[in-house]
Amino acid sequence: MNLKQFKITRIAIAFFIGATVAISTVTDNIILAFSAVLIGMIFMFMVRKRTKAVLSDERTEKIAGTAARVTYSILTTFIAFLGLFLIMSGQSSGEAFTESVGTILSFTALLSVAIYALSYKYFSKYYGDDQ
Amino acid sequence: MTNKLKILRAEHNLTQEDLAEKIGVTRQTIFAIEKNKYSPTLELAFKLSKLFKQPIESIFNYS
Repeated sequence: MNLKQFKITRIAIAFFIGATVAISTVTDNIILAFSAVLIGMIFMFMVRKRTKAVLSDERTEKIAGTAARVTYSILTTFIAFLGLFLIMSGQSSGEAFTESVGTILSFTALLSVAIYALSYKYFSKYYGDDQ
Repeated sequence: MTNKLKILRAEHNLTQEDLAEKIGVTRQTIFAIEKNKYSPTLELAFKLSKLFKQPIESIFNYS
């Protein structure tokens, strides 16, 4: 399979997933939605395996790394501040639910930082850090 | 960092796609290197050096 065929197949798979999820939303069928996403992922994996063309290289990996870092920074900061805001507003208004959501978001932000720190440590060692 | 990849590619009658296939990268990477938007890793620089039978410093110029 060449690059052009791969791109066409990828669009077809995305269209299939989108259409099936839309149908499952209308018919209120969650199993159909999950099945569509799972089947789409399996198909995508198989298509990538069969494609002979180079789909990723050092430049795409660098781009992905930079994009991931930016996403992490923005999302974690946003979740942390939103969590803090909800905790404070929940405490001042006495709404336990709002405070709980804020606490969950704060712990999510902490989890995100922890995963980043652990993966950073792991890849740092992988790429030759001696400490 | 500048380079003369485009000249070398033209001398060897290669399209960006041909060169990308030969060294195992995407066509966009060749385009980005030629436009000096991306500096390749040492490994890729060596691959280009080997392919064009020229030393790295004659392909890439660091100023």
